[in-house]
Amino acid sequence: MNPFDALGLPARPDLTDEQVRAAWRRIAAATHPDRPDGGDPARYAQASAAYAELRTPWGRSEAYADLTSPEGPGTEPLPVIPGGPLPPPMQAARLTAAIGCLPARIWHGRPLRLLTRALAAALLSLGVLALIPGQPAAPAVITGLITWFVLTGRGDLAPPPRR
Amino acid sequence: MTVWSVLKVTVVLWLLRKAARLAGRLLLAALAVAAWPVTLTAAAGYVAAWLRGWPPVRLGRAAAWALPVTAVWLAALVLRDHRWQAPPLTAQWERGWRQLSALSLVRTFLLLAPAAVPAGLGLAALLWAWRIYAITTGIGGRLASAPMVFDARQWRRQARTARGRVAAPGAVPLLASGGRIPVGGTIRTVGHRWHPVFTVPHQMCGRHMVIVGATGSGKTNLMIRLWAGWFTAAAHAGQNPLLVVLDCKGGRDARRKADRTRRLLHGAGARRVAIWPDEARLTLWDLPPDDLAVLLYQMVETGDGAAAYYADIMQAVLTLAITAPTGPPHNAAEFLDRLDARWLEGAWARHPGQAARARAAARHLPDIQLRFSTLLGRLGPALDGPGTLADADAWYFILEGTREPSVAEAQAMAITELAAHTATDPFGAPRAMLLAADDYSAVSRRVPLSNLYERGRSLGIGVQVSAQSWHGLGGSEDERYRIAATADGGIWVLQTPHPEPLAALAGTRRVLETAHKFIGATWGNEGTTRQQRAWTADPDVIRRMDVGQACYIRRGAATFVQVARPRPSPLTLTPAPIPACPAMPVPARRTDAVPDPVPPSLDDVFGPGAPL
Repeated sequence: MNPFDALGLPARPDLTDEQVRAAWRRIAAATHPDRPDGGDPARYAQASAAYAELRTPWGRSEAYADLTSPEGPGTEPLPVIPGGPLPPPMQAARLTAAIGCLPARIWHGRPLRLLTRALAAALLSLGVLALIPGQPAAPAVITGLITWFVLTGRGDLAPPPRR
Repeated sequence: MTVWSVLKVTVVLWLLRKAARLAGRLLLAALAVAAWPVTLTAAAGYVAAWLRGWPPVRLGRAAAWALPVTAVWLAALVLRDHRWQAPPLTAQWERGWRQLSALSLVRTFLLLAPAAVPAGLGLAALLWAWRIYAITTGIGGRLASAPMVFDARQWRRQARTARGRVAAPGAVPLLASGGRIPVGGTIRTVGHRWHPVFTVPHQMCGRHMVIVGATGSGKTNLMIRLWAGWFTAAAHAGQNPLLVVLDCKGGRDARRKADRTRRLLHGAGARRVAIWPDEARLTLWDLPPDDLAVLLYQMVETGDGAAAYYADIMQAVLTLAITAPTGPPHNAAEFLDRLDARWLEGAWARHPGQAARARAAARHLPDIQLRFSTLLGRLGPALDGPGTLADADAWYFILEGTREPSVAEAQAMAITELAAHTATDPFGAPRAMLLAADDYSAVSRRVPLSNLYERGRSLGIGVQVSAQSWHGLGGSEDERYRIAATADGGIWVLQTPHPEPLAALAGTRRVLETAHKFIGATWGNEGTTRQQRAWTADPDVIRRMDVGQACYIRRGAATFVQVARPRPSPLTLTPAPIPACPAMPVPARRTDAVPDPVPPSLDDVFGPGAPL
């Protein structure tokens, strides 16, 4: 069991000392062998060992490194971006990944501002369709509005992972 | 010819000139009214550029981005009519004039927008470029102070726009496409190409970079951003990066900075970030014996003149102790044990020459041992292992250069030597390495920065050096110029009281200066324009920069930037709520036990726990 799981904490290197200590104290209070009900010595020992490992920032950094290193569990190597153009399957995979993380990027960015931009673009597009229906200029102006939304809305998204 | 006729001719000529000018203006006004959709777009673009401090190229790019609108419009026309014909602009324009209502005008504008918007934005770019030219060269403006007022006002607006740009969460990530490191919003460029977000290729960090800025000028933000950007770019390129940071000032701030750097690097994908000496150690005893002997010799201060004799003896003894046939020492204690005549003679027993040298130096050995015992004692156990630079993705070294300069100098020497060894280790995996020295002037007395540069260049290590002022870069003017002039990765200048030497490295540019002839108290219509030289990176502008603003100088051009505070993508370390308490099996209550609640103070049972 990894030490983060043993303390019921997410595996993150940026946990604070207070968070780790609070998690340990909660588990220790519930499982200590001196409890009237006998506690849970095995669980207590596990939590104590995990706390000893995670109590310092360096320890957390090490434990996190062990979890994410190529040899360790939860392998997540950094994506390598080659210099030249990508082959189509890799391009498709990257596009899929980019689309997949779009909701999270919106949520962690400035969703209200983005929504305002989207509403403005949508309302103006509706206005265009109402004012010049069936005219060749209508799709052109709507293209312009979409271009504006895409170019200005990018800043409202959170950066993609590891960027 | 009479006086009266001369007067008549003069008046007629004056009237003709005025009439021609009026006719021209009327014609221009008529054109502006006739092409009102273009005029409207151009006016909007011009005002936006004026208010936001955009350069003309920004409007030009907006016009280019509007061209797809025109393309879609033309495509829709072809699809509708099933043949190519000239767009019916005139008919739509005429229709707009026949019904002069607001709705009709909006409809006309929309019908003409695909052609009017790109044209209008392009026109606005031209007009704005002309306005800037006219003001800066002195041929425009009502007052003589117009160029200064215009420049100051535009700087304020450009800075405000850049600040707004860096506030957007996705505008300035740690890494942009093409391996470029976004630094912040561009305020102004002189010679460089203008982009809303200023980026530097990560390869620039792999060269040599100088950063100069006073305390509190935003230097830390800039440096951390460059480190994280470089690390991310090198990791994405599969270069297995190793970042080595020397914080040569030390103190509590250094710890906070180290912690911040670590969190950011974890967000950038670093797995192991070591902070030395608080949490991690290194061993210098893994160095090749010859290098180790030289390093130990250099770490002890030796004199010259008569003292050179003792320095030579010390060097000979160190070489004997470290290159002994039994192998190099593995730690400080073993090394100190070797500084003994009996040990040296025993170790070199089969080598008469070396044994004789050991005997000759025997009476100096206690002194040498004492000196190294003192030095290694002051250095502490943090360089006594275990651990190597290759063990982590990034090392943050905190050297107490302010409190203990001599110790910090020795530590800096050892660390740079270890970095050089890691870079040239034939058995280690090839790694991209960046050696960043923050406030290196605190320890540069014995390891001049220029040496660090030259070593870095020869070993393929990028070296980034920061100082609080021009004078902090080196002990002499020659040394300072040697450092700054070889910074081929660029020079970053933040708020500093004496930026002239650095600004001078950006060179000068040609500008036009117009002198007007005064008639009475007003400008006449005569004057001269001449070519002058002006600073590319104006020292006065640099001196007046706010906190967080920086000037990047490279290849005779300068860019002023509002540096964005570095933040990792929130998606890298997806925030997970910390559960209140994990579910645990509750053991069955023992009936024979005396009810005893959990003690009110858990410290009574568990001890005080970790110090916070």
